[in-house]
Amino acid sequence: MSPRPASFSLLEAPAPDAGFAGKLTTMASQPLHEIGPAGPGFEAAALGFTLALAAKWAGPAGIFWAGEDAAFAEEGAPYPVGLAQYGLPLDRLIVARARKREDALWAAEQALAATGAIVICALGAQGKPLDLKASRRLLLFAERYASRCLLLTPENGPSAAWTRWRIAPAESAAQPDELGLPAFRAELTRSRGGPAGVSFIVDWDAHERSFAEREMARDLSAAPENGSADPRWARAV
Amino acid sequence: MQLKGVDLRAHKLGLNLAMSLADARAMQPKLEAIEEEPEEDAQALDNIAAWCERFTPIVVLDPPEGLFLDITGCAHLFGGEEKLRMEIVTRLHAQGFGARAAIAPTPGCAWAFARYRRQLQGEVTDAFAVLPVEALRLDADAAVLLRRLGLKTIGQILNAPRSSFTARAGEQAMLRLDQALGRAQEALMPRRPAPPVFVLRRFLEPIFTGEAVLHVTQDLCGDLIEKLDIRGAGVLRAELVLFGVDGRDRVIGVNASKPLREVKPLMRLFREKLNIVGENLNAQFGFEAARLDVVRLAEFDQRTQTLVSVDAGSASAETISGIVDVLSSRLGAKRVVRPQLNDAHAPERAAGWRSALASKGQDQLIKPPADGVQRRPVRLFSPGQQIEVMAGVPDGPPIRFRWRRVMREVVRAEGPERISGDWQKYEKTRDYYRVEDKQGRRYWLYREGLYGESETPRWFVHGLFA
Repeated sequence: MSPRPASFSLLEAPAPDAGFAGKLTTMASQPLHEIGPAGPGFEAAALGFTLALAAKWAGPAGIFWAGEDAAFAEEGAPYPVGLAQYGLPLDRLIVARARKREDALWAAEQALAATGAIVICALGAQGKPLDLKASRRLLLFAERYASRCLLLTPENGPSAAWTRWRIAPAESAAQPDELGLPAFRAELTRSRGGPAGVSFIVDWDAHERSFAEREMARDLSAAPENGSADPRWARAV
Repeated sequence: MQLKGVDLRAHKLGLNLAMSLADARAMQPKLEAIEEEPEEDAQALDNIAAWCERFTPIVVLDPPEGLFLDITGCAHLFGGEEKLRMEIVTRLHAQGFGARAAIAPTPGCAWAFARYRRQLQGEVTDAFAVLPVEALRLDADAAVLLRRLGLKTIGQILNAPRSSFTARAGEQAMLRLDQALGRAQEALMPRRPAPPVFVLRRFLEPIFTGEAVLHVTQDLCGDLIEKLDIRGAGVLRAELVLFGVDGRDRVIGVNASKPLREVKPLMRLFREKLNIVGENLNAQFGFEAARLDVVRLAEFDQRTQTLVSVDAGSASAETISGIVDVLSSRLGAKRVVRPQLNDAHAPERAAGWRSALASKGQDQLIKPPADGVQRRPVRLFSPGQQIEVMAGVPDGPPIRFRWRRVMREVVRAEGPERISGDWQKYEKTRDYYRVEDKQGRRYWLYREGLYGESETPRWFVHGLFA
């Protein structure tokens, strides 16, 4: 048999949106994403996923991390040594803490005016739910200045975000006597103009600033749509 | 007991400061005497000095009863020197203080004329010469000594051969004379550090509204930038002082992370700050004057401006410093921070945060943590939160532990990493473990003290891995 023409193999290439890597490529050009814990106790994982995205996308304009006090106090203060090891550029990181939610949102809006910036807007669990208008404003600012906003909130209300992710930690893939790479079970619960309800298990390689999707995750993502196919989820506290 | 002060009425009755209270009482049995309160007097003088800052930022305390005001460049705002002097005196009278004031080219001269002659006419030196020697601001002994030498007026000292003044009285008298006549510099310490550049405006009518304050601020910013332009400097910190008709003033300060030399960015900071303090301005009595001080200035670097247009990367950095300014002025400088790594072994001290304003111009790379440093959490609790360890292996990580009322089962652990405490602070050695629970959550745990030191070692969660 003669070898296939090159053009033929191109047709067989996966759709750009297939897999986590493809999803990530699409996301990189979208202005607003929302990330939250898949359940109580998973706040650190949701933050980890957010920070990984920020580290991956950070350009010369750097990262602004604006949050309300409630979002900082509960889970401990950001720790520069750990952040650097996580892949964040310390020389291009600014953290702004606000007493009130409206100030945190305002700070995020201001920071979005830096073209190319990655702005993390971290909200706590307390307070009244975020209204659609607030996330629309973030979207508007991000679009206008070609910056990107990662909205970190445990809430599930209406949102103008392009994607919404629910994050739980995933078991380490390393040997029992060592902690592996940071690992997440990431469920895409909403996606503008694309399929939602997909789950991925990904490892974050801070050194390479890249995600690696685990093969087994493909099977798990085929699990029933109402979620908690994995018994570990049900026990989450 | 001695008389330390007499009011105008007592003075007219012939009482003076040299008298004892008993003599004064003998002359005027109905005399009302109040015990001296030096501290209260000092406080009152300071209050008056603060009030005087509406005329100039450079006010020097001259206790027990004097003030120096440096009105260079301010008098024209009050209709000239004499009008300014009159205004100060009349308004102090209206507040119940007896006051005398004189304007002269040097502090020494002004001191003398305020105390020994109300009005200054003719040549300063001539008017000065007829004043008594006490007007030289001498120690009491020195004045007495001069009088014993037969020198009663300043003019007599001026005419006497300089060499005849030696030691003690002579030296002080000569210095004071030289200072008063401007032959020698006299350094006076203002009550508050004098701003290197300031602009002042007073209003024909008091202003009440936030809008009017904004308008005035805009004008002042314009004046200030014009002044800075001449000096080739930029603003790092500026303070707006609003002088209330009620005698109190409000200070609104803004910080910039890089020198500003344009009205717009400066105004943006003030607008942000005024929006917050808006309701707390207490403008019900209105403001009669406003001053804008540059508290810190920096030489304006022409190169920073040109760099921006050349390099696209620094164009965004330019915006970032503007954003840092705006965020800091609304949230507070301590709440807008950049990370900082320290050369310290203890995890709590190995890193910190500092104001993004302070790290201005800090484009140098923050060194990444040394390779030798083992994995650290992205969030740190300080202090660590104590946990209840349910089962443990001697000298090993816990198998199960309870934190925040929830039991967690450890499925994998890495460690220990021993971190020695600071012996000077009596900190115990810690054995750190990185553990993962059944749900994949990762913790940074430590046991306090060496194993076997106590029967039940204490365990803590020090941080969370993402």
